Amino acid sequence: MSVAAGVEYYVLLSMGLFCIGLFGILTRRNALMFLMSVELMLNAANINLIAFAFYHGNLTGQVFALFTMALAAAEVAVGLGIILVLYRNFRDVDVTVPTTMRW
Amino acid sequence: MAVFDLPGWTGLAPALILAATALALFVVDSISPRSANRALLAGVSATGALASLAVAVWFIAAGVGQGGIDGLGVIDLFDGQFVVDAMALYFMIVVAVVTALVSVASYDYMADHTYQAEYYSLLILAATGMSTMAAANSLVTIFIALELTSLPSYALVAILKDNRGSVEAGLKYFLIGALSSAIFVYGVSLVYGATGHLQLDAIAVALEEDVADGFGGLLGLGILMLIGGFAFKTASVPFHFWAPEAYEGAPAPISAFLSSASKAAGFVIAFRVFTTAFPLEVTGELIGLDWTLAFVILAIVTMTVGNFAAATQDKVKRMLAYSSIGHAGYALIGLAGLTVDGGELVMGAAMMHLLVYGFMNTGAFLFVALAEYWGVGRTFEDYNGLANQAPVACFALGIFLFSLAGIPPLGGFWSKYFLFTGAISVGTTSMLLVAAALVVNSALSLYYYSRLVKAVWIEESVVDRDTLAQPTGLYAAIVFAAVMTVVLLPAFGPVSETAIDAAAAVI
Amino acid sequence: MEGAFSYAPAIAAFPLVAFVVALAFGKYMPKKGALAGILATAGSLLLSVVMLVAVASGEVYHGTIYEWAVGDALTEVGADGIEFTFGILIDPLSALMLVIVSLVAFLVHVFSLGYMNGEGETGLPRYYAGLGLFTFSMLSFVLADNLLMAFMFFELVGLCSFLLIGFWFRTRSAPSAAKKAFLVTRFGDYFFLIGVVAIASTFGTLQFAGEESFVAAAETAIADGTTLFGFGPETWVTITGLLVLGGVIGKSAQFPLHTWLPDAMEGPTTVSALIHAATMVAAGVYLVARMFGYYAQSPTALSIIAFVGGFTALFAATMGVVKDDIKQVLAYSTISQYGYMMLGMGVGGYVAGVFHLMNHAFFKALLFLGAGSVIVLMHHEQDMWKMGGLKDKAPVTYWTFLAGALALAGIVPFSGFWSKDEVLYDALIVGLEQPVILAAYAMGLLAVFFTGFYTFRMVFLTFHGEPRTDTAENPHSVGWSIKFPLVVLGALALLAGVANLAPVAKLTGMDITYLEFWLDGEYGYVEGLTYHDYHELVAFEEGYISSETVTMLLGAGLSLGLAVAGAVTAHVLYNVPEPTRHTAKLGGAYDVLRSNYYQDEYQVWLAEGLTLPLARAADRFDQTVIDGVVNGVSTASLFGGDRVKRIQTGIVTNYAALLVAGFIALLLVLGFIGGWFL
Repeated sequence: MSVAAGVEYYVLLSMGLFCIGLFGILTRRNALMFLMSVELMLNAANINLIAFAFYHGNLTGQVFALFTMALAAAEVAVGLGIILVLYRNFRDVDVTVPTTMRW
Repeated sequence: MAVFDLPGWTGLAPALILAATALALFVVDSISPRSANRALLAGVSATGALASLAVAVWFIAAGVGQGGIDGLGVIDLFDGQFVVDAMALYFMIVVAVVTALVSVASYDYMADHTYQAEYYSLLILAATGMSTMAAANSLVTIFIALELTSLPSYALVAILKDNRGSVEAGLKYFLIGALSSAIFVYGVSLVYGATGHLQLDAIAVALEEDVADGFGGLLGLGILMLIGGFAFKTASVPFHFWAPEAYEGAPAPISAFLSSASKAAGFVIAFRVFTTAFPLEVTGELIGLDWTLAFVILAIVTMTVGNFAAATQDKVKRMLAYSSIGHAGYALIGLAGLTVDGGELVMGAAMMHLLVYGFMNTGAFLFVALAEYWGVGRTFEDYNGLANQAPVACFALGIFLFSLAGIPPLGGFWSKYFLFTGAISVGTTSMLLVAAALVVNSALSLYYYSRLVKAVWIEESVVDRDTLAQPTGLYAAIVFAAVMTVVLLPAFGPVSETAIDAAAAVI
Repeated sequence: MEGAFSYAPAIAAFPLVAFVVALAFGKYMPKKGALAGILATAGSLLLSVVMLVAVASGEVYHGTIYEWAVGDALTEVGADGIEFTFGILIDPLSALMLVIVSLVAFLVHVFSLGYMNGEGETGLPRYYAGLGLFTFSMLSFVLADNLLMAFMFFELVGLCSFLLIGFWFRTRSAPSAAKKAFLVTRFGDYFFLIGVVAIASTFGTLQFAGEESFVAAAETAIADGTTLFGFGPETWVTITGLLVLGGVIGKSAQFPLHTWLPDAMEGPTTVSALIHAATMVAAGVYLVARMFGYYAQSPTALSIIAFVGGFTALFAATMGVVKDDIKQVLAYSTISQYGYMMLGMGVGGYVAGVFHLMNHAFFKALLFLGAGSVIVLMHHEQDMWKMGGLKDKAPVTYWTFLAGALALAGIVPFSGFWSKDEVLYDALIVGLEQPVILAAYAMGLLAVFFTGFYTFRMVFLTFHGEPRTDTAENPHSVGWSIKFPLVVLGALALLAGVANLAPVAKLTGMDITYLEFWLDGEYGYVEGLTYHDYHELVAFEEGYISSETVTMLLGAGLSLGLAVAGAVTAHVLYNVPEPTRHTAKLGGAYDVLRSNYYQDEYQVWLAEGLTLPLARAADRFDQTVIDGVVNGVSTASLFGGDRVKRIQTGIVTNYAALLVAGFIALLLVLGFIGGWFL
């Protein structure tokens, strides 16, 4: 296996990517940036899946990565729709603006 | 019965029927998006849901998922990617029942909506996802089914496009959902990394064969992240933040749908994943502790947060939203109480609770839908004196609320009672703590539920109201839910038997 | 005869139906529910007689009807389960009691036609419903085969008593008397309940009869010397027995819980006759008889029963001497007579006690109904000083009343003489060996004199002499429905003594002590519930003066002499055309007697001076500490809820942060426990 020596590096990379995505979610107020950060986290998972697929020598992980990507696209589509109506109602795409419901 | 003569894939019939219904509605939507033939659309979706219900009940009656001479055994599909067993069918029934109720209720509630077909097709698509979740037996299918449920749900919550509350609710639901699913997928990737498999039985085999030795921490983190994904679906702390807003802002039938069916679907995959893929003993050796501990903590925190936050709410819908979180905490006991050599009693009790909850909580939210239909307002005070104008619906509300609070002899009491005795019978300190929390929280919940009963039955109305309309669909759904909440009581014997058998089969 | 016994539940069910009918339809019925009651009690009477015949033919019945709870229980004697059931036990004792109860109930229903319907009372459906419910409860109590069922119906008869005493609830005194009766008997029942629980938790069974009974279990425990709750077995049996006795003392109006009975005379006279003379008050004594095997194992408990009985007999008789109200006199005499029964039971004279119970039921019901008749005659005047001379105007009432009075006073050959004499004889022979019992006997004997005195004072004041008021000159007439029960009961008062002519049997050697044979299992019997079984258990020695016959004759002569002396004294003092009160002769004692030995006063003091401050203190504790804690908890919960919901800030980024924080916290806790970071 070509990656047998270094699967842990891939995990470290994916964890780094995951944390960057998480950091984005926690700090960005723009809904689109929020979406992109989620994409980063999903792709971190994809890196893991592909790396482990090589490590374990089966293709399950790779196939699942494809599914993930497709679903991520679908999620973005729904997300963009919601962001659109958000903008229509609140005249802003700042996620911290809608606070009519709380407590 | 004839089940065996059919090809294997028909085992998924309850989910497939829903999918076909959704597609049919889609066709209507694409041909005539502004079709206002509500009777046809609501009728089609209700019929689809009832057909799915009928098939699921038939399968159970025919013995699918039961061993022994009479049983037809568990149906494995696509190399174990799906499994149709008693538990799957049980939850398919819960989903189908709630979907049917919500479809019927939407007939009146969504009367003014422009795009009717879109609404119903999204609803049935989400139901398809939930029904599929019940049968999913691999992390791949689970994830797909989960997303199939979530994506239409986001859209459904935000479907009142010109209503700020609905849009805000949809946004929050979506954002937290996206974050949770990212965490969930990452968890899947870690579990895959540790074991090399995504199919649940294969994961268990890999764990038995010590494939994952040395990956204990990785596996533990992965499992915890999976729990995160389930916690989101079931609205459990700390992934519950979307729930109060989403339930409050969404159209009330959708709140009912999400808080009952979606929650039940979340629980069925949690039950399946943790009982099938992560046997307590081997997993415990690997990750150094019983994963039940996580559920013990989550159960206690969830029921406490939900009930305490519900206690001081002013708005009825939001109170129900928080109470729904509290009930997720009760159902979590089903996982917290699993032990190496059993636990079917506790898990069966949790399944019973979810079934009863499917009726009483749906009914309560549908009453809110009725109130919104009347336009009486959202707070407890606005509900004052409703019993004068609508005694039948208010009587049903009383049944729902007292059942939710767990007052004997209603259905909610028995499922809580079984949860309680189940938790006690496990006997560990942590489970006794859980049982104590269950009692304390139930006592607290009685306070805010009875507040609402008091408002509608005892308080005098603040404003003068004209006579209120009696929308057929909503009334039918509410009355049916109330009748079922009561009827489940004498039927509790067979129901509890089915639930406990189903639980025993997967453990 | 199994067939006959299958109708046993109907004995109790008939009056229950009458209760429902009277309550639901009484308003629309011609006699406002009276006919339903009469029919139902007649049915009960008929079936009771069938039971009596069945038992006479050597059959008994003991069966469970309904089992309403089964539980695992850890008991002191090691039985590991307990069943709570409704069952029926028909043996000689209960068959006899069934006949007594249903007969008196039937006659009282008939009498009510004249007394209540005839007088144009309102609320009659309520009255007949009450009587029906009472008859049902009382018959069920008699049928009960276990202590818990007995307790339940014991409470139910108490409730009916409350309802019926307070029948005229618009007056001032009736509701107050009803409350008093309810509370005082409830005070005793409280101990009864503890006793039931104690017996259940000790022996794991509450059955009266059979191998599985608590009586048998107690016998085994005493034989084995098992320690029960840290006590010796006999001590424990005494303790539990005395706890149950609390209920008996309350219901049978024994000292010191007798104060409710005189007040209970506020109810209709028919109710007094049925409930407060013949049946409900007898429930206490019946209970002692029912579980006599249990008491028989504790000489201490028996001595206490005997002493309380003897004391009450004398104590109540002295108070009866100075009463002016005809019903009050009868009330005190009732207390006194139940004292005799308790005395009889306490000295092991099971047959004597039951015999007196039977006779008393007849003659006291007769006297009350006679008093009711007098009250009708006198247009609802109860003060004897306003009567007089009724003898010629109402001969039926007079002669039957006189029969009852002779029986009460214990004049040969009326029924009361035979049973009272037997009680006193049994007390005497035991008393010759036991000083405590001898004291009880002496009190009982002395009470005979007072009994004779107040009885005939009542008769003379009411019926003899010159009419002292206008109403007494021109009394109201009474109908057949009043006369018929009087005649039946009058005949019984005269003749019922034939059932057990023990002295005659001893003198002549004839086998005519039928009641003794009856209770001793000559006919049908249940193993362990017979007189000789009990007699073997009772540990009292018996002594005689020279010989049995001499002792008997001496005792009988003494009591008869005293009774006659009392009657003669009354004759001298009051059988004159214009009787005077003669109270000055009593001096200071008069005030004491008039005030009933200040019993009410000291009990009120106990309630107000002692209990009330205690209750106030408890209330203050409850109001401040308990309520404070409760309110504190709810305030804290609501405050906590208010804080908890503030987490939900409404800003979705905060949610994400909190979500991640919560997740990391969970990760840290689990990771730390699981050692993932090593």
